[in-house]
Amino acid sequence: MSAVLQIYNLSVSLPRGRAGNVAILDELNLTVAAGEMLALVGESGSGKTIAALSVMRLLPPGAEVTGQINLAGRDLTTLDERAMRRVRGRDVGMVFQNPLAALNPSRTVASQISEAYRVHQGGSARAARARALELLGEVGIPDPAKRLDDYPHQFSGGMRQRVMIAMSLACSPKLLIADEPTTGLDPLIARQIMALIARLRREHEMGVLFVTHDLSVVEEHADAIHVLYAGRSVEWGRAVDFFAHPRHPYSEALLGSVARVGQQRLQNIPGNLPEPESRPPGCRFAPRCAYRQPDCEAAYPPPLGRAGTRAACLYPLPLTDRISYAQEAEKPPASNFTPQLEVKDLMVRYTSAAGLFRPASTLPPALSDIALSLGRGECLGIVGESGSGKSTLGRAVLQMIPYQGHILLDGEDFAALRGKPKRQQRKRIQVVFQDPRESLNPRIKIGDIIAEPLRLAGISGRAELKRRVDALLGRVGLNPEMAARLPSGVSGGQAQRIAIARALAAEPELIVLDEPTSSLDVSTQAMLLNLLKDLALEAGLSYILISHDFAVVSYMADRIAVLNAGRIVEMNHTGRLIAAPQHNYTAALIGAAPQLRTYSR
Amino acid sequence: MSERALPGGGLSTGMPSAPLARLFGWLALRGTLATGLAITTAILFIGFVAPFLYPVDPFAIHPDHALEAPSLMFPLGTDELGRDELALMLSGGFATLIVALPSAVLSFVVGVAYGLASGLGPAWLDRVLMRLLDAILALPSLIILIFFASLVTLDNTSLILLLGLIAWPSLARLVRNETIAQRGRDFVLASEQLGATRFYIARVHLIRVMAPVLVVNGTFLVGDSVFAISGLSFLGLGVQPPQVSWGSMLESALDIVALDPWWLILPPGLLIFGSLLAASLTGQGLLARYGGGR
Repeated sequence: MSAVLQIYNLSVSLPRGRAGNVAILDELNLTVAAGEMLALVGESGSGKTIAALSVMRLLPPGAEVTGQINLAGRDLTTLDERAMRRVRGRDVGMVFQNPLAALNPSRTVASQISEAYRVHQGGSARAARARALELLGEVGIPDPAKRLDDYPHQFSGGMRQRVMIAMSLACSPKLLIADEPTTGLDPLIARQIMALIARLRREHEMGVLFVTHDLSVVEEHADAIHVLYAGRSVEWGRAVDFFAHPRHPYSEALLGSVARVGQQRLQNIPGNLPEPESRPPGCRFAPRCAYRQPDCEAAYPPPLGRAGTRAACLYPLPLTDRISYAQEAEKPPASNFTPQLEVKDLMVRYTSAAGLFRPASTLPPALSDIALSLGRGECLGIVGESGSGKSTLGRAVLQMIPYQGHILLDGEDFAALRGKPKRQQRKRIQVVFQDPRESLNPRIKIGDIIAEPLRLAGISGRAELKRRVDALLGRVGLNPEMAARLPSGVSGGQAQRIAIARALAAEPELIVLDEPTSSLDVSTQAMLLNLLKDLALEAGLSYILISHDFAVVSYMADRIAVLNAGRIVEMNHTGRLIAAPQHNYTAALIGAAPQLRTYSR
Repeated sequence: MSERALPGGGLSTGMPSAPLARLFGWLALRGTLATGLAITTAILFIGFVAPFLYPVDPFAIHPDHALEAPSLMFPLGTDELGRDELALMLSGGFATLIVALPSAVLSFVVGVAYGLASGLGPAWLDRVLMRLLDAILALPSLIILIFFASLVTLDNTSLILLLGLIAWPSLARLVRNETIAQRGRDFVLASEQLGATRFYIARVHLIRVMAPVLVVNGTFLVGDSVFAISGLSFLGLGVQPPQVSWGSMLESALDIVALDPWWLILPPGLLIFGSLLAASLTGQGLLARYGGGR
């Protein structure tokens, strides 16, 4: 196989404030062969996206690039902007994370695909349209002839990503760069997209540079893998070798922190990814590494390893087999089950408001016939694809939306309450949202955010508030000094901890966790899930955990309810549900959950 | 309000001389706020401090010095009655600002309160308030002003009320739309879940998130207010004689415009223009510096 893309000693530095340029990526070397899929893996801040953007020369102004980027034997770093424009789209196709943002909402998909084709290939409008039709069929859009003149908003998320892929394939590029193309999609859809890219690369003998933070989507389809940490390559080689025997401690930790079906405890990676300004001199992972030796911090280690993958580590892990976890023992049902929360005959229907000349229209109900109950201290998982109504269920329990039916907390029906008593009762159920940044007011200091529930409860006095806020920050594993910062000054994982601290400050009995970890990196996700588990034991909290990620739910939940099209299709204890799903939909969801083999030491 | 042209913003292109282009470029990029604040300070100085530093009676008549161009004795010349133009301009500045600033504050408060009530209240209230707003906005504000000004006795208090109760609708609509956009955000929902009332959410969360929008548009209101009182005075419906204001000074200069009394037209005209420019530059500058962090 010939190499499509070769990157030699690529280093990139970007301007950062007044301090001048800061190195983001150091001495990256990698090769993508024709027909091969290389997964470039790393957490956010590792430099993986910068590497991909360097290939397209789409870096922000002021970026300094050294090294060579050869595309089919031509060094892209020497091309001028005109020549580079011809490379983009014709020789290299690109697929982004958010297809809706990359597609023009006011033009039909046919015109956008034809444009991509005609800009580079010329030819008649008729030929371009025929090409668009052919491409839509190829990426698996059902009935493509009918969909040609549809607009992007008429496609679902997964279908839009297919359109995006069709567009990037318009000129049969030699290389496809896919930057997190499945992030934000349901696991079932994500899997289909991965399979599609895998098929297309074989059929077109096309190299694929697949950028992702999610190891679980990589294993099934990638041929090669390249792991970045803090701007440096830490491990690279064939994917099968990597998943069988990761050699670098970081890779091992990364694999260990992916939530999987039937796992007891996720591995934490202590500490945080270093900022580009403060990267340690030696091995960059050394400060967080469990196997650290004194000489690790002296100089950057040379790549080691003759068999399997190569790892930039002085003390790579041995090539021995690991002990795998035993399947989780089936948990016995909770004894003396007294329901804390009861949901009976719940139905939610969204209506569009009536206009002057138009009656209120009714859509099919978002939720119907929902009945469930939750015991004290229990964690109930709600899984389903987006659109299944799982977030709606959470919002109904939280009393954020109008509903029909009954929701009882400790036997008291919310429907019978109004005004202040209702506010008091609502307060006993708290919420943690998916996007931690959205859930914190960007203009309020963190200390005041956490103090909000205390103030609302009538606690005043500077010293008393500070004492309580410090204690809450400590409970979620944060430094009290953080209280003086604004939300923009903390990481996503820290922001989510702050949201949890705020919820805890209201002394709730039940917390609705609406996709609490899906916007976080895997290692951060692991820490957060463990924190939630500890807090539940400590404070006797119950959780309703809403997620599309079966693995996360099965790690946390005692029982799981599977939601499809607004109805509960199956509900059972976690162990039983996984061992013997009764419904096809459940089985499909479990099948789409990350199937990585389990590792432990 | 945001579609207001940015003075100096588009000037850096096509400038023949490089140093000038650089100056305008600097103004547009970094100097907007500084320039705006400098002009604002100068205008406030003229209205509130300078009258004490130049203690000449603006109403003293010197018939033998009528309509004189600027001289050492009369730095800005005299009007047709022989009054000291500089003293008149300072006194007129005080008379203008003493009405314009409180009325801007009043319309700001009314606009924010109306917008919040409309955005946070029940749907029927929102509809009623917004239709009412449409009705008010459908009429040109100057017509409404003239109508009411002809009904009441014009003194400072009535002028403040009149102007203050006229200028708020566009701010109210902006605040209402921002409120609707912000009230569904997760941090507002979280606050509601914690037991917060709507009033608390408005006071603690919405005001702070909207702070940049409010500050910028509040700044614009001040400029609008100076312009409105000057316009009314020009029509004889604003600050009443014997008091003078920048608007009435322009009006009286217009009567004798055939005599080309440039020293009577330029100072008040430039000050009205300067007030609008100051408000616009300050607003744009604040927007550029602090507006992004929402």
